[in-house]
Amino acid sequence: MDLGISALNYVNGIKNNEFTVEEFTLKSLERISQVDEKLHAFLRVNDLAIKNAREIDTKIKSNQNVGKCYGMPISIKDNICIEGSKTTCASKVLENFIAPYTSTVISKLNSEDAIIIGKTNLDEFAMGLSTEFSAYGPSRNPWNTDYVPGGSSGGSGVSVSANECIASLGSDTGGSIRNPASFCSVVGLKPTYGLVSRYGLVSYANSIEQIGPMAKTVKDSAFLLNIISGIDSNDNTTVDNKNQDYLTDIDAGINGKKIGIVTEMTNPDGLSTDVLDATNDAIKTFEKLGANCEQVSLEMVRYAVAAYYTITSTEAGSNLARYDNIRYGYEFDSSGFEFNSYISQARSKFGPEVIRRMILGGFVPSAGHAGKYFSKALKVKSKLIAEIKHVFEKFDYLISPTVPIQPFKFGEKINDPVSFMMVDFNTVTANLTGIPAISVPYKITNGLPIGIQIMANHEEEHSLLQAAYALEKTVDLPEVPV
Amino acid sequence: MKNLVTEEEIAHVAKLMKINLEDHSDHVKRVQKMLEYFDILDRANVESEEITVQETDLDKLRDDKHVPYDKNLLKFLNSYQEKYVKAPKLN
Amino acid sequence: MTKIGLEIHCQLTKLESKLFCSCKADYRKFEPNTNICPICMGIPGSLPLLNKSAIEKATLIAMALDCSTPNRIAFFRKNYFYPDLPKNFQITQLNAYGNTSIGWEGKISVGNSKIKIRRIQLEEDPGRLIYEGATEKTKLTLVDYNRAGTPLVEIVTEPDFETPHQVREFLNILSDLLENLNVSDPGLEGAMRADANVSIEGGSKVEIKNIGSFHDLEKAVHFEITRQQSLAERKIEIIQETRHWDDGRKITVSARTKEEEAEYRYHLEADIPWVRIDDNTKNQLQVHMPESISSKKERYVSKYGITSQVADILSSDRYFSELFEKANNETNAKDIANMITTDIMGLLDTREKREMSKLEGDHISDLVGYIKSNKITRASAKLALDEVIKNGKQLSEIIEDLDLGHVSDESTLSDIITEVIDEEVKAVEDAKQNPEIVNFLVGKVMQKTHGKADPELTLVLLKKNLGIK
Repeated sequence: MDLGISALNYVNGIKNNEFTVEEFTLKSLERISQVDEKLHAFLRVNDLAIKNAREIDTKIKSNQNVGKCYGMPISIKDNICIEGSKTTCASKVLENFIAPYTSTVISKLNSEDAIIIGKTNLDEFAMGLSTEFSAYGPSRNPWNTDYVPGGSSGGSGVSVSANECIASLGSDTGGSIRNPASFCSVVGLKPTYGLVSRYGLVSYANSIEQIGPMAKTVKDSAFLLNIISGIDSNDNTTVDNKNQDYLTDIDAGINGKKIGIVTEMTNPDGLSTDVLDATNDAIKTFEKLGANCEQVSLEMVRYAVAAYYTITSTEAGSNLARYDNIRYGYEFDSSGFEFNSYISQARSKFGPEVIRRMILGGFVPSAGHAGKYFSKALKVKSKLIAEIKHVFEKFDYLISPTVPIQPFKFGEKINDPVSFMMVDFNTVTANLTGIPAISVPYKITNGLPIGIQIMANHEEEHSLLQAAYALEKTVDLPEVPV
Repeated sequence: MKNLVTEEEIAHVAKLMKINLEDHSDHVKRVQKMLEYFDILDRANVESEEITVQETDLDKLRDDKHVPYDKNLLKFLNSYQEKYVKAPKLN
Repeated sequence: MTKIGLEIHCQLTKLESKLFCSCKADYRKFEPNTNICPICMGIPGSLPLLNKSAIEKATLIAMALDCSTPNRIAFFRKNYFYPDLPKNFQITQLNAYGNTSIGWEGKISVGNSKIKIRRIQLEEDPGRLIYEGATEKTKLTLVDYNRAGTPLVEIVTEPDFETPHQVREFLNILSDLLENLNVSDPGLEGAMRADANVSIEGGSKVEIKNIGSFHDLEKAVHFEITRQQSLAERKIEIIQETRHWDDGRKITVSARTKEEEAEYRYHLEADIPWVRIDDNTKNQLQVHMPESISSKKERYVSKYGITSQVADILSSDRYFSELFEKANNETNAKDIANMITTDIMGLLDTREKREMSKLEGDHISDLVGYIKSNKITRASAKLALDEVIKNGKQLSEIIEDLDLGHVSDESTLSDIITEVIDEEVKAVEDAKQNPEIVNFLVGKVMQKTHGKADPELTLVLLKKNLGIK
């Protein structure tokens, strides 16, 4: 029983009686207890996992209808609500918050008999790209534990990469699925905005974020996307994907397709040498697969990071206003306090990065500054959308390295805000424009992973996954050393 | 580079966002750096852009029906005498 | 010249559910915090789900007030912290990117004046605060979120009012209009609230908030005008500010202090896509819009020959005009209208009575018919109405049960008349001298028959009996 197997192979294994759900679950829990003290992917492990596993085994034995997941263990980023369980968003401010309802994506997984094995670590309220801003301690990259696993869905990336579970659900606002996918060498997909319901996802920047799968293979991502996508009456921003099956014809290949190499995202000055090498290598691979690769310039990408941080800090400032500890939160008696001084005190429990974004988010949309920053950022966003739309009239895909650099060491980036923001340079465009984007593990250099990002037009996940699969097939990577 | 943000402004924003700040000067420095970077937006030449928005139709919206929430939500909240939610006194 | 403007908040109480969730729109009969759900409580991860009918009803209001309406509507967040706001922002409307609120630039006639409507917007009501103990010793604020998320329409007028009386008249007209459109029941406690802004000749604009009722509004406006005039007379500057109405002392007091100017950081509500409202939808709404009060009144007068005064009263009351429409068959319209305005309105003068009433249109038309055909007297009819309201039985049944049948049988009547003449010796004598006194005797016959005697026949027989012409 190999914990490193893919979701699809797991399902076959169960169906062929190679192992039971309970056996696999038990082994996964063992694995977690062995490695997670060091890696800290998990904030909480589900102590009902074995019970759930037994129930599914019983269903299988008695020939009842079993959901597509057949009891595979899946971890969930701790900013996604599950009824009756804590959802802390890795913040002290929600230390005692127990969700009273379940997210749509979790309901869907549950009805397909997945086992939620635990909640994973993240940068506090999903603000960050290294998990260093978790109020409960960082997660560590299983490829080299001195290095960050990426973020904000760092815990999710680690849990899949270290074979603590089969797959995970993360969230992506500016690269938070793709970045840790690249850093941990797993597949990470940010779906088209609206393809997956956000009902139950604790909002950070609600105009651009999406829940998405993090998995070991591209096919696994397609498998999970099949389950979690689709229009939801609980989320008015969802679109109807008409129950599309993302697995069919996933191996169709990319012969004759046109691929645009985004100049602004592949500028040698902006990439580390190793990432540049890997990128050039990947371009050659795409050409060998029969695609036509060509440089394309997206002028507005230059302004995307500035627009992104302006817009997201504004939305975060609003989305996090509800955390005043009045209705829910953490233990802090309000007796004797006056309203404003109580909530200001309660809210100082936010971590430093969250506070920084709140301050920025109060500043940039305020009277006197909104015109210069916030309104302008919205217009940049619109122009970027128009530019992308135009580019996809000519190209089928756009590519870049997911992150301009390889994983960095703890503490390396957190003190320089601008250098920190630049790590997101290649990923924010997909969020601002709403288009789908995937990170495929491509290379391990000096023991550290490099992922390649592929982007496609709105709701073109089916085609996107074909390109990702084609690339993945050419790659043979070492196993994770932990 | 001129001062894009003052300590008074930071204090004002902190009050607006209801967060007690320990070190105003650190925030002034950081916000200043971010704003210096955001200056790039001025070069984007987007004055005449219309904003793009997601649209929907009236018939896709929720029907007007009363569906009582089937759980006792008050249990999950910081309630007072199991009836009201308790908040600190207002000035 | 005095200028007064109004900002009216009207709950759409005729909706079944709240603006963004399926909790009940009318929160009034619930125990505290039992009409709530994750959405209206702003629980993390919850998303607003816009109520389709709220847009339709709000658009009806915009149309009835002659407003321009948009092709797409959008929602915005108004960010501020307060315990009655579960999300610490209110979802409301703004016209920041073109015109996206529910209506703008409308007008309505008030007497001989036209009041311009600046804009109409949809927004959610916050929860309610309850204070523990006396205000000075308040240790806590208790919050009931049952009302949070209730749909509100905000109507902002231009400062076109010139007198407090005009303001009051407008509010009455608006109440009737909203009730007639079947979008709101303005009589419900808290369903309609208004703030005012007042400025006198060349002076600054002062806002007045915290006004409990429309009655108070008229008083507050009147007080404020007087206050400003007295300041102006003494050449003291009138500061532009917000003042609160102190109901205890019946004065306005300064509320907002110095630079604590609210900073709302308005931005689009991204969880709600912009909603397209096409011309077809608007036409459908227009076509199905309930008939306006003025149109009803005109129809009552011209078609049914009802007097202007009665038509006025009837048309401006939704409940009774509906009853009238159900009861009348054109030929008896005038009588029905009179019965409603004279007798029924007095019997069903409160909301509770109307809610409990079992009176239907058929009952009224039957009653009017019986009176016309002398089966029952007007006096008995009143008793019958009382009964029908209580138990909704058929008129024929009630007349039997209560023995209200008309006594028009000559011989029975003659017997009773003989009784009365025997008893009222003095009156009979007086009547022979002064024919007016016969009415007293008619009254006595009515008494004996419990109002069932046909008064005209009684009079004829009495006169005959006494030999009076």
